[in-house]
Amino acid sequence: MKKLFVLSVVLLMLCAFSMAETVEMWSWRSQDEEVWKQVEKALQDAGEDIQIEFRGFLPTEYDSKMLLSLQGGKGPDLVYTRRLPGGRTKALVDAGLIMPLTDDVNFEHFTEGVLNNITQNGERYGVPFAVQVCGIFYNKDIFDRYGFEEPKTWDEMLAISETLKKDGIDPFFVPGKEAWALVMQHAMCGISVLGPGWIKRLAEGKIDFLDQDWVYMHSLLNDLKQYYQKGFLANDTNDMNSAFAFEQTAMVFYGIWGVQQWKELNPDLNIGYFMVPPDFIGNDPYAYVYMDGAIGLSANADNREAAIKVLEYAAKPEFGTIFSNVTLNIPAVTGAQMPDSAILVEANKTAEEHASPYVYWVGSEFVSGSPSLYNDVLSPGLQAMYADKMTPQELAQDSQDALVQWYKPLMERAERMGK
Amino acid sequence: MKVKLRYILLFVVPALVFYTIFVVYPIGYSFNLSFFSWPGVGEKTFVGFENFKNILFGTFSEEFFSAVWHSFLFFVANSIFELGLAFIIAIALTSKIWGRRFFQTMVYLPNVISMVLVGFIWSMMLNPQWGLINSFLKMIGLENLAQPWLGQPETALPTVIMVNVWRNIGFYILVFMAAILNIPKDLFEAAYIDGAKNHHIIRKIIFPLVVPNMQTLAILIFIWSFNIFDVVYALEGVQAGPFRSTDVLGTLFYRTAFGGLGSSAQDYGLGAAVVVIIFVMVIPLSMVYANILDKRSREA
Repeated sequence: MKKLFVLSVVLLMLCAFSMAETVEMWSWRSQDEEVWKQVEKALQDAGEDIQIEFRGFLPTEYDSKMLLSLQGGKGPDLVYTRRLPGGRTKALVDAGLIMPLTDDVNFEHFTEGVLNNITQNGERYGVPFAVQVCGIFYNKDIFDRYGFEEPKTWDEMLAISETLKKDGIDPFFVPGKEAWALVMQHAMCGISVLGPGWIKRLAEGKIDFLDQDWVYMHSLLNDLKQYYQKGFLANDTNDMNSAFAFEQTAMVFYGIWGVQQWKELNPDLNIGYFMVPPDFIGNDPYAYVYMDGAIGLSANADNREAAIKVLEYAAKPEFGTIFSNVTLNIPAVTGAQMPDSAILVEANKTAEEHASPYVYWVGSEFVSGSPSLYNDVLSPGLQAMYADKMTPQELAQDSQDALVQWYKPLMERAERMGK
Repeated sequence: MKVKLRYILLFVVPALVFYTIFVVYPIGYSFNLSFFSWPGVGEKTFVGFENFKNILFGTFSEEFFSAVWHSFLFFVANSIFELGLAFIIAIALTSKIWGRRFFQTMVYLPNVISMVLVGFIWSMMLNPQWGLINSFLKMIGLENLAQPWLGQPETALPTVIMVNVWRNIGFYILVFMAAILNIPKDLFEAAYIDGAKNHHIIRKIIFPLVVPNMQTLAILIFIWSFNIFDVVYALEGVQAGPFRSTDVLGTLFYRTAFGGLGSSAQDYGLGAAVVVIIFVMVIPLSMVYANILDKRSREA
């Protein structure tokens, strides 16, 4: 009798498992696992018999693994994808490996700017999940101790840095070993110092990378390095996170995604945020805002219907509420109830009001071809400049030489100028 | 006794099939792919010798030759430290010294640690602010020698090479110890009776008898040096910083084939061309190198 009972329970459990639709999902963001557990529960509470099998990969290995898997006719039902017009997602779309969702998902809770990052030829590929905001994050307690206000100009920022340095506090902690972080810092400074108008003219080929302002931007950062921690080219983002969380430094150039880790390391950390100040009084500062990625539907999806139900949920404000509460990131979907975090609310407000419409790092055409301004020019170039192995002029020349090989507006300009 | 052909085939064919599938086919496929531009999906575009031109004379030429130079430096440093130092340590560990057994185990220990862990451990130890190395230098009053070891071009490559030597030297010591312990004891005893000193024994007996092992290891070091990837990846990432000062052919291949972080496109064709060039360079050179070593050992 006892055996029969156990057997029945096992059989019932097996039946329950076999009835539930399993949606497999791959991502480069391992930290999102809890998000999808909560989404699964929300869907089940709503009567949907769906299980979400989430799998996280190393960010540096994710794209090639996902691509090879989809190319081989297998892979998960849902995949995290990068922004368009980036080369990787464009290749997936062109090869028909991810499916358009225009008719399957309601996109009314997304802004036009965010939707631009998932749109190609009028079709929408993927449901955006996060918006990232970059800028300067600072330790409010240190600022309060010295009576500092958030700087409005580059010179005010230098004055703050000088005071801190004299007192033995590292004004900035820069993870110079990770070249991408140096490029991000350059890009967030560029939108405030050079301004979106300058970047627009560059993108249209009205000016080029030999422009004096581009050289000036490099020089400005090169002069700022005296306020970075000693040996900064040997530090990575882990070092930076520890130094900032444990109040060893006053400011970091970073993104809103860092807040989650800083708070985990030190829940009492009092974090503030300001946009990189422009170098002239009267100019407006801008925030570097970009869509982090989207969840795309694989052409090889085994459980297409269930996968679309998950995507429909991801396009609702309820998903945004779960996402922001778990990750302390800003959700791409509007109308979400954000957690009670002043820094998150401030970053969200900044993203809505001060996002630069033109950029030259992620989300721009300059990084979508090869050689890329990001990986091939600024990544090694900024490290070289900071190590005094390259001048700001040489870095500008390198930028021009690389981009003029494939970026059409610059190629046309070079032809016009007879270069 | 003549072995029938079908028995020969019975034993050879399975191995040959595996070899063809896992070695010959990938090499052939890479050769083929190197003439195309392909981001990993969709149609491949035939570009002829464009990828090779790009690597040898175009956009990537500076990075390529710098990577070749760094791989060569790896080879030279590995030969000196992994062979030379390992030989000296092996002699010490086969002599009657105190704690021999303990040291014999200890020297091989780094070799069993995964390279990811090695990268993590050494990154912590070399941290410029709170790393063990700089803290120790400061403690003994040598603050001036404290450096951001992995953050400046002058020290980054030597540091990566030293970490690689630290990780691998145990293997070479083990091979040399086995070779030394295989030398018949009578030779040493006879030499001592004839009045030979220790340095005579090392130069005239141990060294010549260990040369064949050294020769094999030297060829392996040559091949491995041009295929190095993991130690650079673990300590400096695929960007091989600072500004490519630790770039080797392996990291260059990774960047060209799989792209970097962010949205940049990947091109398997370009990556395959790098692999083909490495292959074309390493195979003939290692054959020439093996011949030279073989000739020298015969002459000796």
